[in-house]
Amino acid sequence: MSHFRQTVECWQCGHPAEHSLFCRYCDSLQRPTADYFRFFGLEPRLKIDAANLEKRFYELSRLLHPDRYLRKSPTEQQYSLEATAILNDAYRVLRNPVARAEYVLRQAGVESLEPRARTLDPALLAEVFELNEALEEFRGGDRSVRPALEQARERFLAQRGEIDAGLESLFERYDESRAPNVLAEIRKLLDRRKYVQNLIEQLDRELATESTDAATSD
Amino acid sequence: MAYSDKVLDHYNNPRNVGSLDKNDPRVGTGMVGAPECGDVMKLQILVDEETGVIADAKFKTFGCGSAIASSSLATEWVKGKTLDEALKIKNTEIVNELALPPVKIHCSVLAEDAIKAAIEDYKRKRAAREALAGKAS
Ligand code: FES
Ligand SMILES: [Zn+2]
Repeated sequence: MSHFRQTVECWQCGHPAEHSLFCRYCDSLQRPTADYFRFFGLEPRLKIDAANLEKRFYELSRLLHPDRYLRKSPTEQQYSLEATAILNDAYRVLRNPVARAEYVLRQAGVESLEPRARTLDPALLAEVFELNEALEEFRGGDRSVRPALEQARERFLAQRGEIDAGLESLFERYDESRAPNVLAEIRKLLDRRKYVQNLIEQLDRELATESTDAATSD
Repeated sequence: MAYSDKVLDHYNNPRNVGSLDKNDPRVGTGMVGAPECGDVMKLQILVDEETGVIADAKFKTFGCGSAIASSSLATEWVKGKTLDEALKIKNTEIVNELALPPVKIHCSVLAEDAIKAAIEDYKRKRAAREALAGKAS
């Protein structure tokens, strides 16, 4: 990846810049790295301290704000624009455990290995299919399926909870071991999660449009 | 996103929506999903036992317009083909025919996988039946 080979010398004073955002010698803003973890000065770990990340985000937003560079050199003005864009993307990805894991998988090249359907457990697929059919009937005006949909929603929420707990522990295992097979397990769970999440969102939408007044009691 | 005319055509008048009896020995069922988006697709074929040609095909897709169009097109394409011919259908041909943009390529992959899964399912059923018949005789 090209950004790992970025110049490690400060563009301004020529001192080693060590991949940090600011030069330790002359304090000028360096070309920002596109690596989200490194951008935040974090180890590439799947479990991260959310409060610390947030604090860092606000600090960096302030330090990198283009307004601060209005009277600086064009190079730094340019870098501050780039850095601000990366900062926002990086924060959006790193703060969300699922997006963060997807990012780590992509960086590790696990992503493109098996983008196909076959790896999914057929039982889940059948369940997803059935529920979609029930949703269709519901949309078509068949109110009798409502209780079944509500039950299904509960079931899928519980499943999502299990998946998230599973992810948590896999995150820990990966941070400790860096083992590629753990990434493969994470991939599988994330795929499952996608189907489950998709259904929960659809169920929420349908059940909410049905009875908008009941929604406030939630 | 702007869909191509061909996608819209299949989306608005999908061909061969529905299902075949999955317990019929002549029917193969392929059920697949795209982890990228969580969409699911079912494609079924009915094989003429004498000629080995796919006589009918049906699909049901819960997903985006491109996935619906891809599976609709796939059912049109497999009809009249032998299993081996149908296995040769590539998602890239679907992409070309429907002018799918790069972000929608996985929708066509779903259709290719569904064809393959349906054929596999049919072959599995047939093999199981032949094994039984072999034992009986
Ligand atoms: S967006 Fe996933 S199948 Fe089309
Ligand atoms: Zn410097």
